[in-house]
Amino acid sequence: MIPNKKKTVAFKTLGCRLNQYETDALVTDFSEAGYDLVDTNSSPDVVIVNTCTVTNQSDQKSRTVISQAARKTKNAVVVVTGCMANNFKEKLESQENITFVVENSRKSSILALVDAHFSGEILHPDKLPQDVFRYEPVRKSLHTRSAVKIQDGCDNFCTFCIIPMVRGRAVSRPVADVLESVRKTIGNGFKEIVITGVNIGRYQDGESRFEDLLAKILEVPGDFRVRISSLEPDGFGDDFVQLFANPKLMPHLHLCLQSGSEKTLLRMRRMYNVEQFRKTINRFRAVYSDFNFTTDIIVGFPGETDDEFQQTLDAVNEFKFSHIHTFKYSVRKGTRAERLENHIHEKVKNARSLLVRELSVGNKMNYFKSFIGQTENVLIEKITQGIANGYGQHYIPVRFKVSGEMKNTVHSVTLTEIRGTDEEMYLFGEISN
Amino acid sequence: MSLMKPDMKMDESFYKIEEIRHLTGETFSLKLPKARFAFQAGQHISLGIVGGNQSREYSIYSGVNDDHLEVLIKEVEQGYFTPRLRKLRPGNMVEVHGPFGKFGMEPEHAATGKFVFIASGTGIAPFRSIVHTFPEIDYQLIHGVRYSKEAYDRNEYASDRYTLCTSRDKNGDYHGRLTGYLKSCNFAPDTQFDLCGNSEMIFDALEILKRKGFDRDQIHCEVYF
Ligand SMILES: Cc1cc2nc3c(=O)[nH]c(=O)nc-3n(C[C@H](O)[C@H](O)[C@H](O)COP(=O)(O)OP(=O)(O)OC[C@H]3O[C@@H](n4cnc5c(N)ncnc54)[C@H](O)[C@@H]3O)c2cc1C
Ligand code: SF4
Repeated sequence: MIPNKKKTVAFKTLGCRLNQYETDALVTDFSEAGYDLVDTNSSPDVVIVNTCTVTNQSDQKSRTVISQAARKTKNAVVVVTGCMANNFKEKLESQENITFVVENSRKSSILALVDAHFSGEILHPDKLPQDVFRYEPVRKSLHTRSAVKIQDGCDNFCTFCIIPMVRGRAVSRPVADVLESVRKTIGNGFKEIVITGVNIGRYQDGESRFEDLLAKILEVPGDFRVRISSLEPDGFGDDFVQLFANPKLMPHLHLCLQSGSEKTLLRMRRMYNVEQFRKTINRFRAVYSDFNFTTDIIVGFPGETDDEFQQTLDAVNEFKFSHIHTFKYSVRKGTRAERLENHIHEKVKNARSLLVRELSVGNKMNYFKSFIGQTENVLIEKITQGIANGYGQHYIPVRFKVSGEMKNTVHSVTLTEIRGTDEEMYLFGEISN
Repeated sequence: MSLMKPDMKMDESFYKIEEIRHLTGETFSLKLPKARFAFQAGQHISLGIVGGNQSREYSIYSGVNDDHLEVLIKEVEQGYFTPRLRKLRPGNMVEVHGPFGKFGMEPEHAATGKFVFIASGTGIAPFRSIVHTFPEIDYQLIHGVRYSKEAYDRNEYASDRYTLCTSRDKNGDYHGRLTGYLKSCNFAPDTQFDLCGNSEMIFDALEILKRKGFDRDQIHCEVYF
């Protein structure tokens, strides 16, 4: 008898940290079921493309990745999932190079679908159970840190955002499930977990709000550190600030400002204003003076006047974000902003984007400078030619010389100089433990 | 005629239009069966036309315990969705998802707070839901419209709680924009403000309230466009 050859699976992931997490959980599922993880060039039996649809560029990227993956893997089962599978389901289903299109809510059951396919069963993806939290704790990951998903969906309906349409309403994972997932993830050897969801500040399980959940996560015994993925800047109080006194919780937040203009924020239907944002930042910096804030900024939102844009520059100057994801506004079909008047010319958007970037690089440089001579605890993510790469507790990129295999270990590093430029800027240091 | 295809299965989110109330030449309300979900007064739903591929958000116009789920809609001439909604008739099906949003009134707050509701046009919708749900609530409602005929269901609010500001005729309680009226008002320091409607009005009203010394945390906004 010819022994059954082990089946192989390849993954391609686009978009946000939540998608990365969901891929990691699928990697765990497939490898525990005996599949070998390979890349798309190695003729896998199954290729899973986890798509993103948040901007038109992400649609385009997702489309390219799907057709490349399908072309390279002619006989493979091609599964397309993620937000694009929700937004363009029928169109994708009609594509011959795709075997299955699986919506986000059914993504966690892809293994069952693929197994059924190989055993000759005919199972339609729409028959898979819907559960956005069914994912197993990550055991095998494509990364050093592992995310833990606590929440999905969002019903803020910011006017530029497609997510409420593709991820559905805000739902929270029960506290006990989250804690179990944290325990198992740490048990699986991860030193850092990232609390993830679509709009995690909206977490609510019974009486437990986001900060209550976070307090409980920090109480889980073990040697690990906790990061928070991006957060909407509304609705948290002093208790949240106090939690950062716990050395397990890393002193960094990615708080999405989007604009420094009240008028623009209203047109975006954001749920906070600049004054509330300022209060939040000041509250943190009053307690932790070197706290790291990073943010997202959208430039060229419909109707954004020169004055309104100037207010954004003023805010960037004032809040001194160490890093800014700058997005030039691009029309997202099906969103309310698509229908707003006074869309901004591409040239103006380019110029505004450049100005934000310039300010952002200056802010980054100043922030990094303040760390020279300081010590950061760096979790090594990869080592290339004897140089370790990782992030310190403030989420600043650090590199230093090492000898031997030390990946996934934390080291105290004294920071000596800034190297690299612009987006590639990092701190170089020497191991001090 | 129903827009549902014969083979389409009846879905929890499908509602049959029971009645259409024409409030002005452009504004009407759709009365649907009682909501099949629990909601907080002030929240909104997303509404689609069965068989169509677009949806829009609408504040719930009815109270939590009312027999009907109702929405108030103004037809926007250049709009995509409202001219289509306008063509619907009783018996047609719409698709409702929700409830959504944080602009909801908690019963404990309704019982103890002092509120000023500020609305432009159809932005009055969440406040009618709140007043229907909590008839005892302590509120003042300032409603800004162009013409006095747009004082939707005015008779449902106590006359000493409702102020109509009309910018294009003189039949309101105040002639001019609601922001002009707001400037002349005095409010107790512990007042909670809820603002709903277009973003220009909300921005101007916010500035006025800030200048009057109110904290941004006392002010809640629901932006329609
Ligand atoms: C949370 C939320 C709740 C809403 N609740 C209501 C409601 O209770 N009743 C309601 O009529 N609309 C409400 N809207 C607006 C509604 O969702 C639609 O935008 C509106 O019905 C017009 O749809 P449309 O496709 O015809 O035009 P769109 O293409 O959506 O809008 C075209 C333009 O019409 C104008 N416009 C939009 N809505 C209105 C309006 N209500 N009055 C005057 N001008 C408008 C704006 O300039 C907009 O850019 C709400 C919006 C949001 C975000
Ligand atoms: S808060 Fe706004 S930007 Fe963030 S997911 Fe929700 S709708 Fe999108």
